[in-house]
Amino acid sequence: MVGDVYIIGAGMHSFGRFDKSYEQIGSEAAALALKDAGVQWRDIQSAFMARMYLPATSGPRILRKLGSTDISIIDVEAACASGGAALRQAVLAIKSGDVDLALVCGTEKMPRGFMDPSMIYSPWQVELGISQNPSYWAMRAMRHMHEYGTTEEQIAKVAYKNHKNSVHNPHAMYQKEFSMEQILGSTLVCDPIRLLEICAPNDGAAAVIVASEKKMRQLGAKGIRIAGISHSISRYSSDFRCPAESMSARIDNAGPTEVTARRVYEAAGIGVEDVDCFEVQDTDAFCEIELYEELGLCPVGEGGRLIDGGEVEIGGKTPVNMSGGLISKGEPIGASHLGQVVELVEQLRGNCGPRQVKGAKVALAHVLGAGGNCAITILSR
Amino acid sequence: MAAERIAIKDGLFAGSLERLDEVHLAGSRCGACEETSLGVTSSCSNCGDENLSPVVLGDAGTLYTYTVVRHRPPGNYQGPADFKPFGLGLVEIDNVIRVMAPLSTDPERLQIGMQLKFHPYVLRTNEKGEEVIAFTYDAAGE
Repeated sequence: MVGDVYIIGAGMHSFGRFDKSYEQIGSEAAALALKDAGVQWRDIQSAFMARMYLPATSGPRILRKLGSTDISIIDVEAACASGGAALRQAVLAIKSGDVDLALVCGTEKMPRGFMDPSMIYSPWQVELGISQNPSYWAMRAMRHMHEYGTTEEQIAKVAYKNHKNSVHNPHAMYQKEFSMEQILGSTLVCDPIRLLEICAPNDGAAAVIVASEKKMRQLGAKGIRIAGISHSISRYSSDFRCPAESMSARIDNAGPTEVTARRVYEAAGIGVEDVDCFEVQDTDAFCEIELYEELGLCPVGEGGRLIDGGEVEIGGKTPVNMSGGLISKGEPIGASHLGQVVELVEQLRGNCGPRQVKGAKVALAHVLGAGGNCAITILSR
Repeated sequence: MAAERIAIKDGLFAGSLERLDEVHLAGSRCGACEETSLGVTSSCSNCGDENLSPVVLGDAGTLYTYTVVRHRPPGNYQGPADFKPFGLGLVEIDNVIRVMAPLSTDPERLQIGMQLKFHPYVLRTNEKGEEVIAFTYDAAGE
């Protein structure tokens, strides 16, 4: 029986727009993670590369810059949850006893503006314009406002908080605070979601080195324990995330975040009350409100009131998106979850300066996207 | 002679495309779980069962939720060259299915719960000279 799996090194390339190849961006993050762990690339026994918008064999192309070894390198794609799916594969490889030291990297380089719809939608959906990612998330916001009285101001408060947090994150794309007036005055993209409430596709990379407990002790490393990790796809009629064509009007199954959270809390043997801080998928500001409810931070329908109360701010009871979230960092899809994990590793090490959550011991990273792809990782020191 | 017509997606519509006032959305009802999938399909999207019966979905719908697309959608969008914001919504039909659909009503008049009516139309003529039939929903009574 192999014991727990630990993250012994973490590193990232900032998220933003860079005049560099994806191979360069990805290999820089991988090299930083190796250096942080104090291990060499030739010591790594297996590698996983999360990416969505890059060509086949991106993993080998990126990691070749560190030297050509003969280990297994696999590209992993699970939409916005690609990084979580890749990290899970590494955890499983270690738990199986197959390897005891692995590298997981997420890398992306994406054009500006709306994402290429042919990657996600059927041609007929694209012809009719049922193919703009924010529209699906916006429809969830409209329904939530209708059912629970959530307001545009509450949605804007999430964007305000995340942009404000990002001022202290050198890896974020914007690092700029915006006023509530600026946010609520920014252009509507898909009602009720506005430009300053939405994340932008961009470039970036993040990487971690994972090890078995035995290997960690051999290396004399001090790791952050992966207390639980889970990945799932939304089941029938549970979520109308893109590219859904229809939903049932008779069946309302639990959504992917709720299902994945239940699994990962159980695996970690903890409840939401044991988690000190969170990094979650704020594709748009409303999404974060819905996630407060689905992760169990508040009852269903109360997400808007949770942001009003300030509990999710740094210094609050349950801080969310201390890094500034995807709204301020941007979303290089393959890299986004690993970027969250790198942030949380640094939070648990106490290295986050003005955005540090004091005394954080347990942290949760969450991503969610196309097809209802959801991944959650819980880390513990 | 009138142009040949094809559906924008195989199996999406019931009825002859020659007479648009007799065209409706098609569905497939599962004999095992009784769920209805959109269009003519070979297996149930809930349980995977292959014992499906074709059904014709009603033309009346209720708006479950919506958004307004304020900027031209990316890629091969075939809407007007001079882009105008349009509604997009989940339209509940016959209490069995909610279909993601473009809405032709003035976006400023959209409201959850409003009554809608199915509206098939000629979207464009393709490279073979065939008319491509698409659909939208109008406000009921318009």
